[in-house]
Amino acid sequence: MLTKFETKSNRVKGLSFHSKRPWILASLHSGVIQLWDYRMGTLIDRFDEHDGPVRGVHFHKSQPLFVSGGDDYKIKVWNYKTCRCLFTLLGHLDYIRTVQFHHEHPWIVSASDDQTIRIWNWQSRTCISVLTGHNHYVMCASFHPKEDLVVSASLDQTVRVWDISALKNKTASPGDDLLRLGQMNTDLFGGVDVVVKYVLEGHDRGVNWASFHPNLPLIVSGADDRQVKLWRMNDTKAWEVDTLRGHMNNVSCVMFHAKQDIIVSNSEDKSIRIWDATKRTGIQTFRREHDRFWILSAHPEMNLLAAGHDSGMIVFKLERERPAFAVSGDIIFYTKERFLRCYEFSSQRDTQVIPIRRPGSTSLNQSPKTLSYSPTENAVLICSDVDGGSYELYVIPKDSAGRGDSGQEAKRGTGGSAVFVARNRFAVLDKSSNQVLVKNLKNEIVKKSGLPFPADAIFYAGTGNLLCRAEDRVYIFDLQQRLVIGDLQTPFIKYVVWSNDMESVALLSKHAIVIASKKLVHQCTLHETIRVKSGAWDDNGVFIYTTLNHIKYCLPNGDSGIIRTLDVPIYITKVSGNTIFCLDRDGKNRAIVIDATEYVFKLSLLRKRYDHVMSMIRNSQLCGQAMIAYLQQKGFPEVALHFVKDERTRFNLALESGNIQIAVASAKEIDERDHWYRLGVEALRQGNAGIVEYAYQRTKNFERLSFLYLITGNMDKLTKMLKIAEVKNDVMGQFHNALYLGDVRERIKILENAGHLPLAYITATTHGLQDVAERLAAELGDSVPSLPEGKQPSLLMPPMPVMCGGDWPLLRVMKGIFEGGLDNVGRGTAHEEEEEVEGDWGDELDMVDVNGLANGDVTAIMEDGEVGEENEEEGGWDLEDLELPPEAETPRASVNAHSAVFVAPTPGMPVSQIWTQRSSLAAEHAAAGNFDTAMRLLNRQLGIRNFIPLRSMFLDLHTGSHTYLRAFSSAPVVSLAVERGWNESASPNVRGPPALVYNFSQMEEKLRAGYLRQQELAAYFTHCNLQMPHLRLALLNAMTVCYKAKNLATAANFARRLLETNPTVENQAKMARQVLQAAERNMIDASELNYDFRNPFVVCGATYVPIYRGQKDVSCPYCSSRFVPSQEGQLCTVCDLAVVGADASGLLCSPSQVR
Amino acid sequence: MASAVAVTTPDHLFNMRNNFYLGAYQAAINCSDSLPPLSPDESLERDCLVFRSYIALGSYQLVINEIDASAATPLQAVKLLALYLSSPDNKESVISSLKDWLADPAIGNNPILRLIAGTIFMHEQDYNEALKHTNAGGTMDLHVLNVQIFLKMYRSDYAEKQLRIMQQIDEDHSLTQLANAWLDMAVGGAKIQEAYLIFQDFSEKYQMTGLILNGKAVCCMHMGNFDEAETLLLEALNKDAKDPETLANLVVCSLHLGKPASRYLSQLKLSHPDHMLVKRVSAAEESFDRAVQSVA
Repeated sequence: MLTKFETKSNRVKGLSFHSKRPWILASLHSGVIQLWDYRMGTLIDRFDEHDGPVRGVHFHKSQPLFVSGGDDYKIKVWNYKTCRCLFTLLGHLDYIRTVQFHHEHPWIVSASDDQTIRIWNWQSRTCISVLTGHNHYVMCASFHPKEDLVVSASLDQTVRVWDISALKNKTASPGDDLLRLGQMNTDLFGGVDVVVKYVLEGHDRGVNWASFHPNLPLIVSGADDRQVKLWRMNDTKAWEVDTLRGHMNNVSCVMFHAKQDIIVSNSEDKSIRIWDATKRTGIQTFRREHDRFWILSAHPEMNLLAAGHDSGMIVFKLERERPAFAVSGDIIFYTKERFLRCYEFSSQRDTQVIPIRRPGSTSLNQSPKTLSYSPTENAVLICSDVDGGSYELYVIPKDSAGRGDSGQEAKRGTGGSAVFVARNRFAVLDKSSNQVLVKNLKNEIVKKSGLPFPADAIFYAGTGNLLCRAEDRVYIFDLQQRLVIGDLQTPFIKYVVWSNDMESVALLSKHAIVIASKKLVHQCTLHETIRVKSGAWDDNGVFIYTTLNHIKYCLPNGDSGIIRTLDVPIYITKVSGNTIFCLDRDGKNRAIVIDATEYVFKLSLLRKRYDHVMSMIRNSQLCGQAMIAYLQQKGFPEVALHFVKDERTRFNLALESGNIQIAVASAKEIDERDHWYRLGVEALRQGNAGIVEYAYQRTKNFERLSFLYLITGNMDKLTKMLKIAEVKNDVMGQFHNALYLGDVRERIKILENAGHLPLAYITATTHGLQDVAERLAAELGDSVPSLPEGKQPSLLMPPMPVMCGGDWPLLRVMKGIFEGGLDNVGRGTAHEEEEEVEGDWGDELDMVDVNGLANGDVTAIMEDGEVGEENEEEGGWDLEDLELPPEAETPRASVNAHSAVFVAPTPGMPVSQIWTQRSSLAAEHAAAGNFDTAMRLLNRQLGIRNFIPLRSMFLDLHTGSHTYLRAFSSAPVVSLAVERGWNESASPNVRGPPALVYNFSQMEEKLRAGYLRQQELAAYFTHCNLQMPHLRLALLNAMTVCYKAKNLATAANFARRLLETNPTVENQAKMARQVLQAAERNMIDASELNYDFRNPFVVCGATYVPIYRGQKDVSCPYCSSRFVPSQEGQLCTVCDLAVVGADASGLLCSPSQVR
Repeated sequence: MASAVAVTTPDHLFNMRNNFYLGAYQAAINCSDSLPPLSPDESLERDCLVFRSYIALGSYQLVINEIDASAATPLQAVKLLALYLSSPDNKESVISSLKDWLADPAIGNNPILRLIAGTIFMHEQDYNEALKHTNAGGTMDLHVLNVQIFLKMYRSDYAEKQLRIMQQIDEDHSLTQLANAWLDMAVGGAKIQEAYLIFQDFSEKYQMTGLILNGKAVCCMHMGNFDEAETLLLEALNKDAKDPETLANLVVCSLHLGKPASRYLSQLKLSHPDHMLVKRVSAAEESFDRAVQSVA
């Protein structure tokens, strides 16, 4: 039993769940009806109008109504929105036991101790039928969820089923009700509207409760005989099926579970019992110490139950609804019913993987609890509470997709929890000895490690590490070092979620989330008022989690907020950008798209990614007081500035961020003395004298202004101030300014004007202005003040500031950090364009390549056989190799390596030696370092004699044949032979041929490059087409040369060819005709030319003479160049490798040729 | 299984040892400073590891200077190794004192001494002599050296037997895993993949070292995946531009990719003239010239 909510109150006699909201009504023996929010755990309302116990209460399915019935014989219908009792239905003559709304008609059924059941129309507020027949208290009555039936239970030891279809027909129109009022009395005494269909007798004491099965023709009843009875009915009869015995006292309430094949009953024996409805045996019993149970209620839609007892009620569910799951990359594995399924996030494809053991129905909550997956081995560990905690290990076959029920036998074991700690190792917690057992995939114990703390659960914490929960702490334990790497005090942890980079971990407990680093250094803790359900990390290090009714986020600094609300709880499995993947309680994978703007914005601020911040400000609708308050609180007033329109807030933010320009602008808009003053203070702090002056001017604060001019040394302005003071008749101001200016005459004048003649006189005398002093003395007459003796007077002149006039050096103010962001964006796009251009280039080249391939020559040169060999022959190699396993050849020197006298084994055969033994290919011999054999082979096959040009190829082949593995420190490196044609299924210890550094694709590439060039040249050549005149010139030249040399016949030939071109130049034609005439007269060649235009020929590669068709020649066995016979035995001049005319068998370049 | 007894005392030297085995020598040295109080045996092991790390880093002279005559036998053995590796001139004297010490019944059975003996005789390519001292095993180090000697002798069957012994002692020990990977690579075929997975596990569990990267790269090359191998090797080169195996493997990898390898080769020739690849190349050059003569 998983208790979700509990209340303490007076005895609870009636309960009803709201169908949509997380509310439950509890009617109490004290007469009060309570409305609770069981999710938040708060009392929403109480309704206290009944007099005496309220035994029945029921929510309406869709209207904001509920009905209650009590010992005051009253049925009250309430509106919970207005918190008011709408009306009272009177008629029952004794206590009312239960009340219930009909699921579609406006009816209420009530059962009463007056031995009747009544059906009321709550719209017309009248009783429409009285069901008589029971001859003792009717303890309960309820409508069938679908059919026109009512079932009732009574202390007369019977259960009755009533047919109310007649009632339904009769009241088709509501107007009828009024007409029928008069009939009420006749109904009371044997009316025919509602008839008893069946009377179920079997209990030997009073029956307290009876209820229908939601969709089968079954009834279950509970009675004071301590028995629960199961009844079946058909159209004509009903009979007792079975009796469930076990309760030790009166059974107070019993019902079928809507989703599982079980019966739930409770009793005054202080227990709730769960029964298997098919096997009719008890599954589980939940006991309370002191409280008798009185009532049960089921949620109409969700998997929740509630039970009322002597001192309150409990809301609970019987089975966990969270599917066990494990995420691995793009795939999530999860359990649903009796199958392991997998779901691919990217394609959103859901497949059934393998069947797993069916959870035994003998007890509850045995379904898989956690799942752990090893991607490399494709193995799954499923943990459940079976046998007090056990695990099952399944290895998923590679071709499992869509495989049916053919289940494999899982490897099992007991243990608190089991998780993979490495590719092929998993750890199992043995609680009894407080040890962690490390096991391999054969389920064998590899290692045991005692824990230095009492752990009650273990979780994955990176390869080789475990996160262990021990009461109020969690530890990270390194299994190899047997060391505690970190620990942290936390509330009781239920789930552990690692970030994708394994750097951070979120520890979820019932009401809190603790974020810590991988060494369990605490980063932040979030507290929730309602249950935390699940969570996952997004790629930026934001933790997205769900509570019962919200999706929320948590930033790395602990700031959190709501993303959206949820109707039903979900279990987040993965966060990918804006999409949240989750499993719901039905085990369905869902993808929810969320608005991530808020947390992405906050994250950008946190990470100081101001360019992002700026672009988000520009492009999205982020605003609101909350955001401004957040920004201000987080110390980003300058960012908040961008959101605010209100001038006062802007002014405050500007001052806070020191942005004086915006502050001035705002101050102008506001134009209030206080704001100018504050602006002045800030400007003074920054040293911006201009703004200070402006602010003082705006507020006409002359004294401050004068002082500002004094300290900034602005004498002109001070003089002006003096004049202003004079105009304003402000003597004190005048005097101050004069003092600041050091203007003695002015001071005397002011004093004189103000009538302070003695002072004026003293001032004049002190500063040595004798003429003025004399004049003043004359005016003063006798009352000339006496001056103190022995004093050296001096004129007080204000010191001149170093910086005169303008602003002082300004304080550095952070501003304009966002300007850069926009520029970057602009540049970014430019870059992309450039890249695109490059991309186009690449495409063009590719196209040329394709053309190259189409060219017949290329394939011709690719030595026909080779292509086939590459594709087909590799497979055949392995079989052939099996004939010669290397061990077979090496004699076994020592039979027993472990004998007391150790005899070292004789060295085995190096792989390169194996290669040379087996191969007749020159390249493989070269790779094995067996150069002379390789050369001999080439000599035989291609007649090659000059190997110097091949030197680098030989060496490269050899160098590339081994890799180097540094093994144990300071010991010599191990060289390893690289073999060709590796594949996954190659058997070990069977040597393949060496991998050659020259392979076909490389050659193909080189050739392609070569032909590409040729094609280019050909293309260029089309542009310099030999023009007819040029051809004529060549012919003319040849003709002239031959004629002059008296080779008349040849010259005639040229002349004829020249004439065939129809020369346009008359001179040439004429000359040709003359030559032809002259030659025809005398067709003799003076000297013989080695040239016969009639016969096709090739040119000898060494002597450059033509070899006509049919003449004897010799050729180079390597490059196929043709030579005159005299060249036989010489080194080929074309390839510089082979001997001309050598007897060669042809190159062997593939093992297939050998066979 | 024999070793499946629960042990609860923390293994303080684990990290240091592990770093040393995986080629993170500087990290191993750094580890040694921040250890909790150790027992005398543990601190001796720590010192050995520190000096062996320095040797692996090529700081022979430092080791020779730091270990004085009063130091314990294992340290003296480590010093011998440093002397041996520091200059070819020392070889004879080192070997003769090594033989003397090994003959001394009081110290001849010390595992570190035997380990060093095995290492030195391996360098001498006298595998029989090496095995004489190491075959009895006793420590994981000795077993792993045995595996390597057998691999050097192309006797993977014997190497496998050694590995079985190691697996019985501690299957998850880094050295067991490493030895397993070496053997897998030596026998080739489908086993290469398992070797790759072992290196992959290491790279997930511990910091990336040149040794791990090279291991992965060599697996890739053996599986014909030269592009990935190159990426890994360049990463390793980034970590240590003078690492001889990285350079050697880069030469091989570049050749297979049809890319110029001469720069890596000359780098290797300059920094490690004694490296196996350099020796192989020069031997090959000689044998080519000889072969040309004989054919001509």
